[in-house]
Amino acid sequence: MTHSKLIPLAEAVRRYTWDGMQYASGAALPIGSDAIVFGRELLRQGRRDLHAVFHCSSQQLNLLAGAGAATKAECGFSALEVFGFANGLRRAVESGAMALEDYSNLAMPLRYLGGALNWPFVPATTNIGSDIQHRSAFAPHDTPARTKIPTVTDPFSGREIGAYSVLQPDLAAIHVTLADIRGNSIMLGTEWSRFELSRAAKKVVIIADAIVDSGCIRQFPNLVRIPDIIVEAVVHWPYAAWPQSSPGMYDVDEEHMHLMNKALATREGTDRYVADFVEGYDDPDSYLDLIGRDRLATLAKTETAFLLDPYRQWILSPDQVAGLSARGVAA
Amino acid sequence: MSAPDFTRPDFTRQEMMAIATGREIRDGELAIFGVGLSMLAGYFAQAHHAPNVRAMTEGGVYGATPVGGLPWGIECNRLSVNATSFTSALDALGFLVASGRCDVGIIGAAQVDRFGNVNTTGIWDGEIGESYRPPKTRLPGAGGANDIACGAKRTVIMVTHEPKRFAEKVTYISSPGYLEGANARERYGFPGGGPAAIVTTLGILRPHVETKEFQLDSWFSFSSVEEIRANTGWDLKVAPDAHVVPEPTQAELAALRRVDQTGALRKKG
Repeated sequence: MTHSKLIPLAEAVRRYTWDGMQYASGAALPIGSDAIVFGRELLRQGRRDLHAVFHCSSQQLNLLAGAGAATKAECGFSALEVFGFANGLRRAVESGAMALEDYSNLAMPLRYLGGALNWPFVPATTNIGSDIQHRSAFAPHDTPARTKIPTVTDPFSGREIGAYSVLQPDLAAIHVTLADIRGNSIMLGTEWSRFELSRAAKKVVIIADAIVDSGCIRQFPNLVRIPDIIVEAVVHWPYAAWPQSSPGMYDVDEEHMHLMNKALATREGTDRYVADFVEGYDDPDSYLDLIGRDRLATLAKTETAFLLDPYRQWILSPDQVAGLSARGVAA
Repeated sequence: MSAPDFTRPDFTRQEMMAIATGREIRDGELAIFGVGLSMLAGYFAQAHHAPNVRAMTEGGVYGATPVGGLPWGIECNRLSVNATSFTSALDALGFLVASGRCDVGIIGAAQVDRFGNVNTTGIWDGEIGESYRPPKTRLPGAGGANDIACGAKRTVIMVTHEPKRFAEKVTYISSPGYLEGANARERYGFPGGGPAAIVTTLGILRPHVETKEFQLDSWFSFSSVEEIRANTGWDLKVAPDAHVVPEPTQAELAALRRVDQTGALRKKG
């Protein structure tokens, strides 16, 4: 009866991704709650020519762009906040290797919302009148751009507004704090646009920091903003957003944020980073060893740890999760 | 990093900019702050004269005050530690900002022009030209600033005062100010009124009531009309009633330094 959707990360990437696909992720905090470990696996499996749909670019698109795996991207925000410009993304954009279509942080959730509702377009009352509307990286010769946010007339007022194209990405890899084995998910911290994205994407893979017993889900159904019925698969991966933060779970790893961004500034640095931190582990255990158990313990001592307290009693141990995965595969 | 010295009587240009920006925020307002310096300015206002400011971030963190210094990101753990509600970007930037409900937003700029248009997208060598081309230096993009610039009743732009940042016309409008000036915004029916001030490291610029061209409103005690004009990339007009901005009070500095616990505003300038 309890159908488990838990699968290994490598299996999720093999099953649900392909070269040239429209891949959505990084949809949460600008530099946190990012399913970057899924992006690392995309590189490990040599995926190319990705069309990235990222509300905020995060370190994941910084890495994918820096490594040359993404040739198109649509973003609302494409930097690392106080950690600075995203060097890998910058290199890809400035060299022309990746065409980056600019939107805003409201435009992206609205375009997901339109995709989720299967609307033909979404009225745009922001982004109009600026170069976000007038300039298109995907259609560079179309100036002022008529295909990106075309002008339409409000049939009620007669006022001229814009029309956003909607987004229905082939896949969304969504980071959550807690999920059960069927994909019912709880996010601590702001959702950003994970709610809308989970309904817009053709398929959803959940990347969860921790797996909880279904009792947790039934205790807090109001907080389950992504229900199992729209989830294809669940990947359990502790510290999945590292070096970024996951509210309640762990803080940002400041040292690695800088190290990573510095490495991504050059092709050689990126190659070294990929060798060390993308190819440098085989499974969650060796991934955690690579980061360093002491460092993980420090990151887990976050001032937000109390946010996790109501849920702790339901968090399953690695052995329990392993047992459930095996049963899921057998079924 | 040594701990900030709260007894120091002097202050940095960045601190003056943050305090002058914070003075633009009134108690009880619904306000949205971007990451970095604008957040410190906003939370300074809350700590000093606007305890009931209703502050939010663009991803939907409500009721929070930063703990442990400048947050790394707008929803980072330093803000998530004491929030009263977590929602979403559609909620904060859409329902509360683009709708026209938000009173004031603070945004940053890499480049700003005489009509308060903001570029945070890229630096090109000269004009972009007829066809779009990648920038020589790619910047972060609009983020939520475009939505704030369109929707908030008024905005305050915070920017370091350097000639290269104060352009006659920005190369790329990431977030609209008054576009070509006068009533150009009306074409788009934005609920927001546009930028009320550009607060810099040297002084404050405000728009002319009709032309909407930004002119010098006031200068900081360590600056001057000449220095500001020399650092502005257009022929900056000086308002007839231009004046000097009062220096920070001890109470203002103390409040700012409580918010800026890690001394981010004291590292330079």
